[in-house]
Amino acid sequence: MTGEPAAGASAPSSVPSAESSPAPGRPPQRVRVTAARSVPASAAPYTVSRELDEQTEVGEVFIGSLIRSQLRLALVVGGGFMVILLGVPVLLAFLPVISGLTLLTVPLPWFLLGVGVYPLVIVCGVLYVRSAARNEQRFLDLVDDA
Amino acid sequence: MNPAAGYAALAAVTAATLLIGVYGLRISRTTGDFYVASRTVRPWWNASAIGGEYLSAASFLGVAGLILVSGVDALWFPIGYTAGYLMLLLFVAAPLRRSGAYTIADFAQVRLESLPARRITTLLVIAVGWLYIVPQLHGAALTIRITTGLPGWIGSVAVAVVVCLSVMTGGMRSITFVQAFQYWLKLAAIAVPVIFVLLRLSREGLPWTDGGAAFAAALDPETNASLYRNISLSIALLCGTLGLPHVLVRFYTNPDGGSARRTTLIVLGLLSLFYVFPIIYGVLGRIYTPDLAAGGADSTVLLLPGRVFDGALGDLLSALVAAGAFAAFLSTTSGLVVSLAGVISQDLFRGSVGGFRLSAVLAAVVPLGLALLTSSQALAGTVGMVFAFTASTLCPLLLLGIWWRGLTAPGAVAGMVTGAVLCGGAMVAGGVLGTAARTVPAWLEQPAAWTVPAAFLVTVAVSRLRPDLAPAGAAKILARLHTPERPHPRERRS
Repeated sequence: MTGEPAAGASAPSSVPSAESSPAPGRPPQRVRVTAARSVPASAAPYTVSRELDEQTEVGEVFIGSLIRSQLRLALVVGGGFMVILLGVPVLLAFLPVISGLTLLTVPLPWFLLGVGVYPLVIVCGVLYVRSAARNEQRFLDLVDDA
Repeated sequence: MNPAAGYAALAAVTAATLLIGVYGLRISRTTGDFYVASRTVRPWWNASAIGGEYLSAASFLGVAGLILVSGVDALWFPIGYTAGYLMLLLFVAAPLRRSGAYTIADFAQVRLESLPARRITTLLVIAVGWLYIVPQLHGAALTIRITTGLPGWIGSVAVAVVVCLSVMTGGMRSITFVQAFQYWLKLAAIAVPVIFVLLRLSREGLPWTDGGAAFAAALDPETNASLYRNISLSIALLCGTLGLPHVLVRFYTNPDGGSARRTTLIVLGLLSLFYVFPIIYGVLGRIYTPDLAAGGADSTVLLLPGRVFDGALGDLLSALVAAGAFAAFLSTTSGLVVSLAGVISQDLFRGSVGGFRLSAVLAAVVPLGLALLTSSQALAGTVGMVFAFTASTLCPLLLLGIWWRGLTAPGAVAGMVTGAVLCGGAMVAGGVLGTAARTVPAWLEQPAAWTVPAAFLVTVAVSRLRPDLAPAGAAKILARLHTPERPHPRERRS
């Protein structure tokens, strides 16, 4: 590895493995640092999709349903958030009375937009992360059973 | 304010940035370290780093300035900046991490199996990055002028030089430390002074909101907010965050898809916490610095502490705010320069470290030239334009590439070109009209509401026209993007 520039196809993730076994008590050897021009396949973490490559038909069904359920989840959470968020200006435009309401001298629109939106963002995020992880766990369980 | 305090604050931030960068150099040993910190950064570190990188001049100075000028409608900017990360979490974070690509150009090439698509993506990423760096340098010029009284261009040049030095020496790993440090610095720098200000106002019986008068209509009569404008801006900010190059590259530093999600969730919390404070500055500014609405509203955050306190405490608090502002320019600019340098060096210099360093200089010098030639507009507004451009070009590529098997290279290229032409055209036309007549129609000023759907439509239509051109490996790549990782005995230890 020393002196030789890494070939274009060599994966960056192979560099640490070359470096990870230095002689005891000595600093790791210097290596020339280069990057592959295109994406090395082995840079991707080990995914179950590789495991499923051999058994394509079953794999395709499982993966297809995983992607659909993740997309549905993202659309539901994102759509719900957008409806509430864009509902605020629409409500204010059609019901100007609301703008007159105040809470500790803070008008309601300021309160909703300045403070109220942020907890909503975080709640949406937490809900999504939990459900997405659950979808993935269900998929892993399915693969293990198959 | 006292120039000596200003000099000290800016010098301290610069020194801390360079020191952490040099410290990072000593542990930055491999290509992976250099480009993506070997993908082993912990969620808290990474989230702080993302926050540090993302909170730019627009967030630190621009939001308060816009609230001062246009009131309640300006609240859409921090909402959009934060909610953009929700969209990123929902649609992009985990799959993008699993794509295994270093840059968005890599993603285009892997997903579409097409070199032309990669080239177009590279050009757009560079354009977005350059456009985004310019307002940061304008912010630096403003801060230098106000805190030290020196001519503004010195600030722009200083930021560019410091960023180049730290990026060239440390690469991505040290940048991660620098950025994480800078999030907490920025939070402290904006929170501590305003807490002091609020305490003092309560003790002296001075009003916080002047009995609600602070929330009255726009101070600047020329701002004409409308429902369309707010919705279009939301679309730009929500979709634009997905495609920002310095945001994307951060996701590759997570070890796996699940941790990319957890990181994004922490980022949502960090951003929500931060934006409380610029909003308070904006509201207080409407009472204590209303004169700034006529021009220089972006300096509200910098000047407010000095208006409430005088003497040494005023100088100290002003210096703290100035340090935070400078950290904002440094961190956002260096994040952009790192990701641009990554893209440029991979496409032009075959990914060598020497090429990376040369690319870093290239990535900083061009926007520096642009910043010196142009004059500063409202910071949050200029950054909003960049979001609209990103939303119209890179967002369709990412969303459809991740979720739709039928995306083809011609479709993606057609969509990106359509978005770039429409949105870029609207920006140029708006700019020309703005200097000529000063009345710009809302649909030109906030084009995202029609340019983003247009880009999506063209992408889908062109892909549908020749479905046979869909890349052969699309199903396999989608599977890789969406299936969870599992610990594997052989590759576990990296």
